[in-house]
Amino acid sequence: MNRLYQIIMFVLLSFLFVILQSTFFSPKHLGIFYPDLNLIFVVFLGLFSEVKGSAIIALGNGFMMDVLSGNLIGLYSLSRLSLFLVLKGLSTHVYAQSRITQVIGLFCSTLFSWGFIWIGLKMRTDFRISFGEIMAQSFVNTIVGLPLFWLIKNLYARVQA
Amino acid sequence: MRFLRRHPILISIVLFFFATQFISLRYEGRQVGDSFSSFILTLTYYPQKLIFILTGEIVSAWQNYIELVGVRNENERLRNEIRKLRQEKFHLWEAELQNDRLKKLLGLKGNSTYDVVSANVIAGSPSILRSQVVIIDKGSENGISQGMPVATYEGIVGRILLVGEKSSEVILITDDISAVDAYIHRTRARGIVKGTGGGCIMEYLEKKADVSVGDKVISSGKDGFFPKEVVIGTVVETEASGGFIRARVLPDMDLNSLEEVVVILKLPKEKVLNE
Repeated sequence: MNRLYQIIMFVLLSFLFVILQSTFFSPKHLGIFYPDLNLIFVVFLGLFSEVKGSAIIALGNGFMMDVLSGNLIGLYSLSRLSLFLVLKGLSTHVYAQSRITQVIGLFCSTLFSWGFIWIGLKMRTDFRISFGEIMAQSFVNTIVGLPLFWLIKNLYARVQA
Repeated sequence: MRFLRRHPILISIVLFFFATQFISLRYEGRQVGDSFSSFILTLTYYPQKLIFILTGEIVSAWQNYIELVGVRNENERLRNEIRKLRQEKFHLWEAELQNDRLKKLLGLKGNSTYDVVSANVIAGSPSILRSQVVIIDKGSENGISQGMPVATYEGIVGRILLVGEKSSEVILITDDISAVDAYIHRTRARGIVKGTGGGCIMEYLEKKADVSVGDKVISSGKDGFFPKEVVIGTVVETEASGGFIRARVLPDMDLNSLEEVVVILKLPKEKVLNE
């Protein structure tokens, strides 16, 4: 029963983050200094979640991002799934509870995610986001990510209990 | 799951190659209006609309009761009046030029008019990769379909990219993949207005064309999407570009703070989006 609650919680959180990203935290209003709540959420899933359906939740989150941003379907879906799998693989080799690990995880995950999209798109079309902008977003995600991790972890612990 | 944990890099590489193949396929034959995407759009409509209404109420209450009550209403009224006068002035100018042209060209057909549906902008794109996309609170149940032009009373905004039952996605004219066939209003010099991600440029204007800063740019209606003679923006800079002139065009309204738009119920002649 607990597992079902956890899956429901993650699905609802994923949906909530997509809604917040398209309203209050839309890059249309905030520019490059917007926190990518969905990426932070996928990093959380990759580092901490023990739920087996997490990969599908990460994929679904990316799909919703693709639909709402008018992007090519698959761009965010596959980059987020890929990020999740890499983090899941690495999470057994690192101490994920450490703040330093979380900071590095958030920063590098943003770079990884953009790298994936950059190489994928560069093969077909222009990519207008500069390296400086990607670095700026990595910093913002790291700063916003830590308190968000704390919030989701508390919620996760309550559902697990 | 154990295999995934042991070989994350390998999995990532496989996914990456899959992604590049997938993306290239989508670019060549993109069918935007698939039903699952429309379902996602409809699913997100309710919370987005709720947030839009709540924030609208809070902002409105703040402005009406806490800030200067009378000044806001007065300001609103004056702004509307200025907008109407500007519109009137432009129409008079337009009529004068049209009159001159019609004196020379007898038998020219008049502009046809279309029905419109007004809509609120309830959300924006969640991705910086394509930030020039907004979501409006009207969809297929209001008669909207893919490719229909979207405007404000000040000019063209963009066109419908994806339609849900209750909401739709609008791609703005400032987006990279947008293009509008256009004229310089004063001289009828023709070119293509393209989005640059944050603004617009008018390309392929003939070198001998008479274009100067301050000229109004209007749609020609020849691209099959937008109706004829709707304002796109104003020329703010010109430069030579190869055998052509390139002009930077500033849309007349602030596309970053759009609140209300109208969808012109005009079906595109060809349903092609990523031309």
